[in-house]
Amino acid sequence: MNLDGTALYAALIHELKNNLGLLSMTLDSIPVQDEPQHDRSVGDARLLCQSVIDRLQQALLIYKADNQQLDPVIDAYSPHDLVHELMERTVALSRGRFRVETELASDVPAIWFFDRDLIEMALLNAIQNSLAYARSCVRIEASMLDGCLALFVRDDSDGYPDHILTSVATHTPYRSTGTGLGLQFAKMVIQAHENKGTLGELRLYNETGAVFCLILP
Amino acid sequence: MSLPSAFIKNASAVAPVNDSFIDYASLRALVVDDYPGMRNALRLTLSNFGVVKVQLAANAAEALFHVKNKAFDFILCDFNLGDGRDGQQLLEELRHGNLISLETVFMMVTAESYYEKVAATAELAPDDYMIKPFSAEILCSRLESILLRKRAFREVYRHFLAQDLEAALVACDELMRSKPKYLVDALRFKGEILVTLGRFDEAETLYKQVIAMRAIPWARLGLARSLHLQKKDEPAEEELRDVLEHAPSMVAAYDLLADVCLAKKDGAAAQAALEKGVAISGKTVRRQQKLGEVAYTNGDLDAARTAFTNTLEKGRHSIFVTPADLGNLCRVQVEQGDLKAVADTLKKNKSSLQGSPEGKLVMAVSHSMMHNQAGNLQEAVKALDEAAVLRSTGTRCDPQMMLDLANVCMATGREGEADGIVAEVARNAHDSELLLAKARKIYDQAGRSDAGAAVLASATADIRKLNNEGVVLAQKGDYKTAVEKLLTACDEAPFNPRIIMNAVWVILKYIDQVGMDEKMMAIARKHLAEAERQAPGHSRISGLRLHLKDVEIRFGMNKT
Repeated sequence: MNLDGTALYAALIHELKNNLGLLSMTLDSIPVQDEPQHDRSVGDARLLCQSVIDRLQQALLIYKADNQQLDPVIDAYSPHDLVHELMERTVALSRGRFRVETELASDVPAIWFFDRDLIEMALLNAIQNSLAYARSCVRIEASMLDGCLALFVRDDSDGYPDHILTSVATHTPYRSTGTGLGLQFAKMVIQAHENKGTLGELRLYNETGAVFCLILP
Repeated sequence: MSLPSAFIKNASAVAPVNDSFIDYASLRALVVDDYPGMRNALRLTLSNFGVVKVQLAANAAEALFHVKNKAFDFILCDFNLGDGRDGQQLLEELRHGNLISLETVFMMVTAESYYEKVAATAELAPDDYMIKPFSAEILCSRLESILLRKRAFREVYRHFLAQDLEAALVACDELMRSKPKYLVDALRFKGEILVTLGRFDEAETLYKQVIAMRAIPWARLGLARSLHLQKKDEPAEEELRDVLEHAPSMVAAYDLLADVCLAKKDGAAAQAALEKGVAISGKTVRRQQKLGEVAYTNGDLDAARTAFTNTLEKGRHSIFVTPADLGNLCRVQVEQGDLKAVADTLKKNKSSLQGSPEGKLVMAVSHSMMHNQAGNLQEAVKALDEAAVLRSTGTRCDPQMMLDLANVCMATGREGEADGIVAEVARNAHDSELLLAKARKIYDQAGRSDAGAAVLASATADIRKLNNEGVVLAQKGDYKTAVEKLLTACDEAPFNPRIIMNAVWVILKYIDQVGMDEKMMAIARKHLAEAERQAPGHSRISGLRLHLKDVEIRFGMNKT
């Protein structure tokens, strides 16, 4: 295989991502020992490992995206399954250090159309972020908003800093580090979801903590 | 009601069957990954949520060995398996060979998000796929939702497996009403059944109904397919071109587009579509085979050679590659005058060709073509003699190759033998304009046009007469005599799919009329199997299979 510069980096990232995946599975298999010092370190290592993986995965998707446009694979999925799946993962990541709550509004339909993997990646990224800043609670919600499916990640942190809220509100680029990069990815994901002329939307705001919201048309 | 898979059986023994209870401890899992570290990590991951009966396999061959020896409820397979078959080829082999049931969960693990685009519309899609790396929780949730989905579908599957497709349709409708979560899944399954039943207009309506909810790719492809099957090729092409404009990487759309173009007799456009498909995913053997055939018919020998070469290379481990593929490559190489390449091809594939009588015949025919082209008469005759011996013991290869054989016979002065072979091909393909035209061409080139016309006329006349008489008798309700006529026709043309299918049809009508005749029933079963071998996927076969099943059920022969 003849690799030019970018393709070589992409292949490298790919391999790193897979190796980190194995590392993450290994970390997941270390049992909780009820020794705060030990458990805390393992928990931190797992979170960190997962966030590096997520970042690499996002980087690869952005690299492959044509003209900064992701090409989603839309099919029918159950929002209930999605919230359940995210809850399970969040509980595992938080390892008892946070309360994980979910809520599905009664009007959320049995199926909705979206790219499950992209949406899940964007929401997990927000969840990782919440797990890093929340005091005690992370909450995953689904409800209907003007005929669209709205997916929320809420926490009880101090909320998003002003510069991030401003940049999302004014569509100006964020600083491309940390939370900023993840948000940029989330925005690409949600904007790739279009239905009959309506674009998906990312909303960030602060209530009792940070609120991350994806609106799926 | 019987609940087929183990996890349900055991669950019912310990607890009342709860609609969402899954007993992971009794789930039999197979993990296929070429990397030992990953295999072990996956085993650990599965044990995290209680799946402990785990068999590991390092490649497709090992996986096939295990699947043939015991049943699995869940197969977790990496797409990339190093050398040999990849995960998709393994899946195709498992499904085509009926080695796994509809109840078995097959999940593909892939390192690339590219695969989901293939899986989303593939003819043989896994139940789900996981993008690496993934966590135990996500794997567990996905597995759970597939197991629950299969549980919801069990009535549909039960009827489907009993080939009671009408009841399967009713069960789909019932599922849509009772469990809206599976509405789209049930519609997808229903669409496939409608196509199998030949109810293309209903399938069209169904796919439009899905598209009205959301224009998801498989529904648009389904719509295009049902339009094409109704010979509405203009709107089918329009739909496909639009799909591809928005999603140019959707390979299945190129395959269908090629079929549509062929139906419109636009061979060049069909070749262009297949070339685009191959550029995106060249590993699919059947796409390469089709490209080779289309390019050859278009007279584009270079493209045909590349495609046939790829067929053999990519298909080294595929069950879809037969000796005929080697014959196709040799034919192109002979026509290009590249005789060294023919010799290399045959030398390289000697051991695989010698493994079967058909392979030996293909090798003999290819050798005869090569030596004949080189003017090496003695060697050509030697190869022809070998072919004659094989034929005398009942060995046959595909009709195109048999015509090649006739061609060399003619060129070496063995006219009588050539006429016999052509007559046999013609008897077995009396309604195939394409093959008859090729046969005529051989005679034209040899300056024996009149002789050829006579051979073809007499070979097809008998068959045509027997067939027509049989069909007319059947239409008059005299099924007994019709059966006699058509079975005589079958004896004369044992590989002629149309004749065989007609014979099966009249036998079943005969039994409908006079009652069970077990000897006739056995003949019908044997012929239907032969028809499937000769014309896999022919539109009449599923109808005949249903009819046969129906007869068996009515006469209580469905106890097996």
